[in-house]
Amino acid sequence: MATTSAPMIAFRDVGKTYPKTTAPVMTGVDLEIQRGELVALIGPSGCGKSTLLNLLAGLTDATTGTIDVAGSAGTDELRSAYVFQNPRLLPWRSVLRNVEFGLEQAGVPGAERRRRANEALELVHLHEHGDKYPHQLSGGMQQRAALARGLALEPDLLLLDEPFGALDALTRGYLQEELLSIVRRFGTTTLLVTHDIDEALLLADRIVVMSSRPARIKRVVTVPFGRERALDSVLAHPQFVPLRHEIRELLRPEVAASDPTVEAGAPEVLSS
Amino acid sequence: MSTHIEAGGRLAHPDGGDPGGPAGSPRDPRRRGGRAAQSAPSGARSRVRRWIRPARVVLAALVILLAWNLAAPHYPGYVLPAPIDVWTSFTSTWSRGVWIEEVWATLQHLLLAFGIVLVAGLPLGIVIGRSTIAEDLSRVVLVFLQTVPTIVLIALALVVAGASTSSVVGVTVAGSITYFLLNVIQGTRAIDQDLVDMARAYRASEGAIMRTVVLPAVVPYFLAGARITLGVAWQITLFAEYLMGAEGIGFQVSSAIKLLDTKAVFMWGLSVVAMTLVLEYGAFRPAERRLTRHVKKG
Ligand SMILES: Nc1ncnc2c1ncn2[C@@H]1O[C@H](COP(=O)(O)OP(=O)(O)O)[C@@H](O)[C@H]1O
Ligand SMILES: [Mg+2]
Repeated sequence: MATTSAPMIAFRDVGKTYPKTTAPVMTGVDLEIQRGELVALIGPSGCGKSTLLNLLAGLTDATTGTIDVAGSAGTDELRSAYVFQNPRLLPWRSVLRNVEFGLEQAGVPGAERRRRANEALELVHLHEHGDKYPHQLSGGMQQRAALARGLALEPDLLLLDEPFGALDALTRGYLQEELLSIVRRFGTTTLLVTHDIDEALLLADRIVVMSSRPARIKRVVTVPFGRERALDSVLAHPQFVPLRHEIRELLRPEVAASDPTVEAGAPEVLSS
Repeated sequence: MSTHIEAGGRLAHPDGGDPGGPAGSPRDPRRRGGRAAQSAPSGARSRVRRWIRPARVVLAALVILLAWNLAAPHYPGYVLPAPIDVWTSFTSTWSRGVWIEEVWATLQHLLLAFGIVLVAGLPLGIVIGRSTIAEDLSRVVLVFLQTVPTIVLIALALVVAGASTSSVVGVTVAGSITYFLLNVIQGTRAIDQDLVDMARAYRASEGAIMRTVVLPAVVPYFLAGARITLGVAWQITLFAEYLMGAEGIGFQVSSAIKLLDTKAVFMWGLSVVAMTLVLEYGAFRPAERRLTRHVKKG
């Protein structure tokens, strides 16, 4: 990672307590992310991963500490896209018009907007469904449309909250590859929240392992597979299994702590 | 809902139970009647099925008309005029040009008031729905308008502006706007905050959020509110015309009954029924279909 330039994102001692609650969801988070880096966030559910993305998207404010986000090259204006944990499509817009949403807000003119939205739909294999309304799509298709909405923007910063969770294994594998190639092509700085240790290892440059609530950073694992990687070769890499084991062991006590009903042997987050 | 402006039983606005569907909206299960029957296999059978329900409605109308016609001779004309006399009353009023004139006067009152309610009520309702400050400040006025007797509004209007168009319109606006506001407020509160956050995350301005998220989400409530409001506004307009002696159908009814011209009263009543149906099927239903095309059909 190029550490010579200023980081794209810097969390400095960030804490978050939601209004009208007493227990913080996040304490003392320090994290720097470089331009073009793909960072995976992994941690037990309810630990504050979505909250961290919401802080970056400006949807909620940190209670303590500061978050600096640099503008895109040459301007203060940063193009960011957020693919939420649920699709959040506008029910009264066709799928195509939903995918155009971010482009529209960015002031991209009509014809180009349509072209880019169609390309993004093609990428997620929904180009034949552009005229439908969201309720006519399955849950997985809706999630892919939401992904297309984010990708169509060609953002500087891409926030992904478990974007492949609702998809079948084949589609997931295909989209993981597409995502990686797009992100590399455009140099998109990416934060990927995931439950899936393998997914984190396949895609990320670094993996941030979070503790149970309140979220703290437990360990940052640097992934040694290189930036130009073929996903199949990653699986065959001699480091893959040891790293997977290491992360699993890091998460085991956190998952147990976050949900006492989870049996110590087979917590959900580890069963990938 | 109970923590907000008390709606009270007299309001037929959508209640908290189903945030996605106000009364009378296409999602209202009551409107789905007969769908199953209509999706039967095509051919002669389905063509018959498509007509069978309208045919029953027409049949019921004919039965009532027939019963009326049979009953009329047994009562004096000032109690129950015969259908043909009511029709003659219409043709003579029409040929003298009075029908159009009076209907036009009433429609002016009605549509002016209705337009004011929609144009003022939509932004007001959205502001009240989104801001607790606006809610608190408007509460007294809303509760007053909702509970004050219409007859008091009419009396006050007479003092201020006499038996004029502005009196009738003012009373109608004051008496019907809460029905519309409460629907819009309810719709604004039911907006999915996830969608607003989505729009914010994609850098939508407040104006763009209003246009792309808030207004479309409020549309079904807007339509439900508008429909209820129009019904109420009809009643209040006619009532005000009657009591103030302001030009229009209401005044015609009051004059007719003083002369025991009951067939004219029937005629004006049926005229209003006909116009309401024309507005419902000619304006409301098409507007509703256009504005709710995306809605999942049963
Ligand atoms: N708006 C909110 N108000 C209060 N508590 C919240 C809010 N959003 C999330 N939380 C709480 O904060 C914690 C972290 O939530 P979240 O960031 O969604 O976790 P994750 O994405 O890691 O599953 C959870 O305990 C959740 O209940
Ligand atoms: Mg989450």
